[in-house]
Formats: sequence, structure tokens, C-alpha cells
Amino acid sequence: MLEIIEALLSSTLEYFPALLFAALGATLSERSGVVNVGVEGMMRAGAFCAAVAAITFPTPVGVLVGMLAGAGMAAIHGYLCIRWRSDQVVSGMAINLVALAGGTYLLESLYGPNGTPPIHQLTRWHLPGLSEVPLLRVLSGHSALTWLALVLPFAFHGLLYRTPLGLRLRAVGEKPHAVATLGLSVTGLRWLAVLGSGMLAGLGGATLSTAVLDRFEQHTPAGLGFMALAAMVFGRWTPLGAFLAALFFAFGGALRIGLASSAPGLLEVVPQGFLLALPYVLTLAVLAFQGQRTHAPAALGTPYEQESR
Amino acid sequence: MATSRPFLRLSLLSALVLVSACKKQEAAKPEGAPSDAPAATAPKAKTLKVGLVTDVGGRGDHSFNDSALRGLELWGAGKKMEGGSYKDATPEELKETLAQDLATRGISPVGATPVVLQSKVPEDYEPNLQTLVDEGVSLAIGVGFMLENAVETVAKRNPDAKFLLIDSPLVSADGKVYTLPNVRTVMYREEQGSFLVGALAALASKNDKVGFVGGMEVPLIKKFEAGFRAGVAAVKPQATVLVNYTGTFDNVAAGKQVGQDLVNKGADVVYHAAGSDGLGVIQAVKEARAAGKQVFVIGVDSDQSHLAPEAVLTSMLKRVDLGVYEAVRDLSQGKLEGGDVTLGLKEGGVTYAPVRVDFPGKAEALQKVEELRAKVVSGEIQVPTHPSQLTAAPAKP
Repeated sequence: MLEIIEALLSSTLEYFPALLFAALGATLSERSGVVNVGVEGMMRAGAFCAAVAAITFPTPVGVLVGMLAGAGMAAIHGYLCIRWRSDQVVSGMAINLVALAGGTYLLESLYGPNGTPPIHQLTRWHLPGLSEVPLLRVLSGHSALTWLALVLPFAFHGLLYRTPLGLRLRAVGEKPHAVATLGLSVTGLRWLAVLGSGMLAGLGGATLSTAVLDRFEQHTPAGLGFMALAAMVFGRWTPLGAFLAALFFAFGGALRIGLASSAPGLLEVVPQGFLLALPYVLTLAVLAFQGQRTHAPAALGTPYEQESR
Repeated sequence: MATSRPFLRLSLLSALVLVSACKKQEAAKPEGAPSDAPAATAPKAKTLKVGLVTDVGGRGDHSFNDSALRGLELWGAGKKMEGGSYKDATPEELKETLAQDLATRGISPVGATPVVLQSKVPEDYEPNLQTLVDEGVSLAIGVGFMLENAVETVAKRNPDAKFLLIDSPLVSADGKVYTLPNVRTVMYREEQGSFLVGALAALASKNDKVGFVGGMEVPLIKKFEAGFRAGVAAVKPQATVLVNYTGTFDNVAAGKQVGQDLVNKGADVVYHAAGSDGLGVIQAVKEARAAGKQVFVIGVDSDQSHLAPEAVLTSMLKRVDLGVYEAVRDLSQGKLEGGDVTLGLKEGGVTYAPVRVDFPGKAEALQKVEELRAKVVSGEIQVPTHPSQLTAAPAKP
């Protein structure tokens, strides 16, 4: 029994970081009032560039390059949505399409259709003290990114709710004109949030190609970016909520896989497809039941124009 | 500005019509009027133009498409693609690609001229096939079940042209399987190849526990599962087979997660039939080996040994090249006919890749597997095609 639980937890810890980084990225952007459905595309860019950079440079450098690539995609999004006030959903979808096609094109012309050559995976930390303690030993044997994923949501929470910058970021998502009357730059704050969002999504993608796998594979991230948006909504646009939602989704996935091989009889009663769809069904349920008391930022999706009221 | 657009389109269109008209004339010269049964009346070896449309995987996928291209270009035409143009291949180069069980099959070039069109998106399939027909090829090949619809449409539109469809029968809109007189389809008995790798997996397993990772739970993949489980049961009835499906074909992370799950639960040989997810399974096994576990993985479709040479026990091979070559050869002999062809162990359509790793008792295991192959070929063993047949009619050892 203990072994099964440990396997579940270990699996959860391995797969939630990529989802979490992307969900935090989406949260950051949307708290500032800019819808970011381009997370999937930013992840793809991050995953691809991280793997390509890691072929020649050490893998941690690759991760940084992946973050920059995500920020680069986000810069396009910011340019269209903040500078030219275009429709944020359309721009985000365009990012996804460009990343999908562009990634495939570059991959094929550089390395062939299947994926980049293998790179050195990020080092896994085996902690000598922990590996003897039951349950806690599941923390051993993961990359540094798993540890970052366990710390980052709390740091992000502190930033958003305990610092002046955090207050301003939240304010531009709720009442941008109020922020403007204080003499602060609404567009500047939104640019900051969108670029940060791209870096986090890029980090999520880089996690896939450098920690989970050891190469960029043609389909990466295979819908994980949309799952991250679901985690953001499920977590009610807060960092700690996104953290719990990402853990919950990853645990649900691990549980489904664990049950399938341990209790094959169960899947004859509950169809696989239902379990696969569960995260999205839960997200829809959350959206449906919160009714009037929506937790989304008030100015979300509204381009900022100084003259409008 | 706006008014010039329609003109531009018109002129483009007329240019296109001109080009295709020219092509038709060109093609018409050497072959005569393509009327009733032109290809069936023994076409001259000189003009044996054979077209092939890849699926979106394209040339260089190390799998399905490359295998089909080998069947046409190297085996059928004796050519190889080098730096964007065809060069003659030496007989040695051809021989290198023939595995032991194919060496005696008399595979040698029949003087085909390959015309290959690659598909970048699924929307390319139909126009690509039609282009080949307009070029006047004697046979147009569609590689992969994804081209089923396109082959069907173009074959009906051009009843005088001949087609080959790999890996799928023709399926009508209401889901019924049917045949057309001008379309040959080639399908594979995946369960038979899976049966052999199942037996090999069980024999290589130390703790009598092996795993199967499927992609989507569809009848095709169930065939792999059924064959694999029957193969395990045939040599080690006491062994356990852990079965798990990822639910996708394109999510490597999910594949790795499922692979880790099976390895954590004690499976020491894992077979995957999960498309790209399988790369994740291979990754999981590779990492488990790095952590000191003695585990192996079995690849699928093509020899996946190069992905992790020390971890890949073998791969279940589907000989797309053979299906293509045989159609081209039949065409050259004027006996290519429509209908469904199914290739199993007996026909050399499925087999397993050379075992390049070592494990205790390897020689005896391989001998045992070859004995099983003989029994499947002779029909003594009937391999089930769906897991539901496993308990009802277990494969007899």
C-alpha cells in the first residue's frame, strides 16, 4: 500500500511542474487584465528553443533560452494587445497557431520530422538523507525544477499580495484607470506581466523538453497549455489556487494511470475517456457554479484606452 | 488595389489549367490513351511510372513513410535519394536492407520509375493523388490509413487508374468495409508479430511480470495487446501482463508516466504500441536503467533500437516496404489486382527486429520464439485479434 501511494506521489511531483509554471504564467498575465490563451504556443516555443540550445550549451542555459523564447512569443502578444489593443483571445490563438506551425517547420528543416537529437537531461537530485524516510523519500530523485515548482507559488503569492508592485499588478487588472490617475503606467505594468507570463510558460515548456524528456518531440506540449488555463480558472486566478489545481490535476492523472494497471476491473465500470476529460469537466463546473461572483479580474480582456471610461 | 485581386486569381487559375493540360499531353504520349484497362495489359518496363504520396510524416520519419519509400525506390527501382536527386543504388546497398527472412524472396528491382509527392497537411492527400493520376502513373500509392478517404475519392473519380492503400481497407461512409476493382489495400497481422515479441518478453523477464502500453484504446491497438498477451501466455502461463493505455498518440509525457508506472509495479520488459507516446515509454525505461533497474523496452513499427541501444530488446516490425514492393512487382508482371491483401508472419509482413542486447538465456529464448513462428506460420497456433478472445480461446503453446 505504502509503495502504491509513494509511486503516486512521485509521479505527481514529476509531472506537475510543467503544468504549474504555465498556470502561474497564465495567472500573472490575466491578473493584469490581459487574456493569455497563447500559453500553449509559448510553451511550445520554450520547449523547442530550450532543447535546441541544450544541444550546444549546458542544459540549464537551455532552460533560460526556453524562458526567453516564451517571453519572445509573449512580446508579440503584448505588442498586438497592449500597443495596438487588438482582441486578446484572437491574438492568443494566433500565437498558438504560429508556434504549432513554426515549430514544426523549424524542427523539420533543422532535425527531421520527429524531434531534436537527445540532450543531457537536467540532473536529478538524489538526497541521501531523505531516501531512507518512508513517504518523504518521494521528494528525492527529481530535477531542480520540481523544487522550484514547490517554492515558486508561495513567492508569487508574496509578490502579488504583499508588495506594492503586486498591488499595482492586481489593480491594472481590476481598474486600470484608477492606476492611471495615480500617475502609474498601465501599459508598462501590463507589459511586465505579459512578458513574465511568457517566461513562465516558456519555463513550463522547457521543463517538458529538459526534465521530463531529453529532447523536443514534435507534438510538445500536446495540450498541456490548455490544461494550464483550466488550472488557472480552477484556482480562481490566484497563485496558490493554481498550485493546488496543478497538483490536483497531476495527481488525478497519476491516479488514473495507477488505477488502470493496478485495478483493470475498475476501468470497465468507469470509462477511460471520462477520467481523461475530468479536469476540463471540473473547470466547466467551477465556471458554471460561481455564477455572478466571478473571480476573474474585472478588466480582463478589455484593452486599456486612456480616454474611455 | 482591391479590383486587381480577382484578375490575379483568374490568371493564376488559367496558368494552372495550362500547366495541367500540358502535363496530360506529356503523359499521354508514351502510354497511349488511358482508356479501358491500360495498366493491366503488361505495361512496358520502360514506362513503369509508380507514384507515391506520403502522409504528413513524410520522408525521414524513420518509420512508416521511409519504409514505404524503401519498397518503391530501393527495392522496386534500385534507386536511392541523395542530395535531392536519385542515384543508382549498388546491389550491396539493396542487400543490406534485406533482413534474413527476406533474403530468399527474390527481391530485386523491376525497373520502376518513382514519382514521390510529400504531404505537408492532410488537405494535400487528395490533390497529390490526383496529380499523380494526371501525370499518368501506372500505380498511385497512398501510405497510411490517413489517406483512406483520399484514395477512395480519387479512385472512384478515375476508375482507369490503379491505386495501392497501405494499412487500411476501404471504408464506406456508413462504416462498411468494401473493395474497388482498381484499389489494392494492404493490411498487416499485427497480432502475430506482437505474439512473437510477447513470447520473447516473457522469456527475457526475470520477475515474470511484463507490461503493455497502448495509445488510444482502438481495435487496431487491441490487436497488439491481444497478440502480446497470447505470446506471453504461450511460454510462461504464470507470468503477469500489466496493461495500460495512455489515451493519446501524441503525448510523450503521458507515455513516460505510464511507462514509469508499469516499471514501478515490477514489469521488467515493456512493449509499447502508442505512437509518439512510445518515445516516452522508451525514455522511462532508459531512466529506470540509469537508476540501476534491469529493464527492457520493445519498440514498434520500425526498429527503434537507435533511440536507446542498451534498453531496446527488439521491435515489432511492420513491413510496409514489402507490401509496396510486392504491388510494384505485380504491376510489372501485369497481375496487380484490386482487393484486400493481408500480410502476416507467413508472408513476411510482420516480424521482430534483430535482438542486439544480451540477457541470460538469450540463445534458447530466440530458438523458442523461432519455434513459435513456425507454428503460427503453419497455422498450428491461431493468434487472437482481440483481448476478449484470450480467455475464451487461449493460444496453445
